[in-house]
Amino acid sequence: MLVDKKFVPRHKAGFVLCHWLNGISFLMLFITALPLYDPNYFGFLYNALGTSTLQNAHKFFAVIFIVTPIIGLFIARDGYSMLIGQVLKFNKDDMTFLVKFPGELLGQDPKMPKQGFYNGGEKMNIALQMALWCVLVCSGLVLWLGSGIIDNSVRAWMIPVHSIAAGIGFAAALGHIYLAVGVNPDSLQGMKNGTIKADYAMHHHGAWVDELVAEGKVTKKELEEAVH
Amino acid sequence: MAKEMAMLHDVARCSACRACMVACKQWHNLPADFSTPFEGQYQSHADLTSKTYNLIKMNERTDKDGKFHWDFIKIQCMHCQDPACMKGCPEGAISRLDSGAVVIDEEKCVGCGYCTTNCPFNVPRVDPDRNKSTKCDLCFDRIENGMIPSCAKTCTAQAIDFGTIEEMTALANKRIEEVKKDFPNANLYGIGPATEGVGGTHMMYVLPEKPSVYGLPENPKTPASIDLWKDVVRPIGKIAGVGAAAGIAGLFVLSKMMGKKNH
Repeated sequence: MLVDKKFVPRHKAGFVLCHWLNGISFLMLFITALPLYDPNYFGFLYNALGTSTLQNAHKFFAVIFIVTPIIGLFIARDGYSMLIGQVLKFNKDDMTFLVKFPGELLGQDPKMPKQGFYNGGEKMNIALQMALWCVLVCSGLVLWLGSGIIDNSVRAWMIPVHSIAAGIGFAAALGHIYLAVGVNPDSLQGMKNGTIKADYAMHHHGAWVDELVAEGKVTKKELEEAVH
Repeated sequence: MAKEMAMLHDVARCSACRACMVACKQWHNLPADFSTPFEGQYQSHADLTSKTYNLIKMNERTDKDGKFHWDFIKIQCMHCQDPACMKGCPEGAISRLDSGAVVIDEEKCVGCGYCTTNCPFNVPRVDPDRNKSTKCDLCFDRIENGMIPSCAKTCTAQAIDFGTIEEMTALANKRIEEVKKDFPNANLYGIGPATEGVGGTHMMYVLPEKPSVYGLPENPKTPASIDLWKDVVRPIGKIAGVGAAAGIAGLFVLSKMMGKKNH
């Protein structure tokens, strides 16, 4: 059934919360590390807030970043299994989507194959974020807690590895935010209450909406009424 | 001080009296350090700390012939010629002086601990209270005023010597000849192939046995990861950061323009 006759339920509250926790902790981790990356441009953060404050904040948000997917296994099991399940089902339609996507990015409206719960680009982002989470968490923990346990010849390598992973993650985050805010602002509602407009869902996740109809979760009539 | 200096610890002469530890604390105004509880051991502290820059390590060892040895070694900053801490410091807070002393400028230090992570000898310690990195500074202030470091000054057994790098190398080679009569493996640590990876060190040792016996790395190296981070990751990251922001702004404008044409 649609919510308020207009919106398709997409994410459960626990999953919405995990997305916020992950996003905020990642951005805060990035910001609190910036002065270490370039003291000339970002040294003012140390001067304004104090070195210990920033370093302790980095550790605080690191804990949130690490535990979010673990909490997610309890409060958002469906959402996380969907993430993993969808990434493993990368198919021909996803490839077609990726090939045609630059057109959409440039403001055109190419004929896309119907996309599932996540489209080809989203699947790539999910896979990348999962890999980066592992790299960031492992290298970060080795730097934070590895002193005296792991040899410095290994620990020293974690500095560039952590930096590179953070850089790639930030670039991906910029793209992710741009696509949401700049290209598909209708998708943002999913971050608020987990629903998206029916016509957005049909346009961008047609195959998924078809599944919902087939499962009887949403009816065709409802959708038609919502769109018109 | 234009001359390159060096300190020599002759492990064969050291009696582990620890006067050097006391002298170091006095000169640097360091408080007593109760970080290691007394459990009957001879060694005073388990490791270097932000309050203990200089430590005499004591180790009981039985060699392959069943002979008992009591090993003493003075550990502190090695004052590398190619210091990994200096290269790895994102704030440029660490420098190597003409004397060879590697020193930390506390004004610039932010306590990130990258110096500790990069150090092949795992020496610098960040003081948790002040959030500043700390280590032996070779008493650079004493050297600049014509004095020798406090640990060398106080050593009664002449196990710690200090002078120009040439003098210390000559003295070390002489001592090694003597030690070799009893310990054929005796070697000089700090100059030569063993420490080539860090460009040699201004802290040198006469070691009766091979370095690993005393817990010294056999082949310390200034890690290549520092160069990767400083010369590649940071500059490319900066360009990529600006590029990504500009790219997204451009894309936004372009999509609005092309979108308009289509509709």
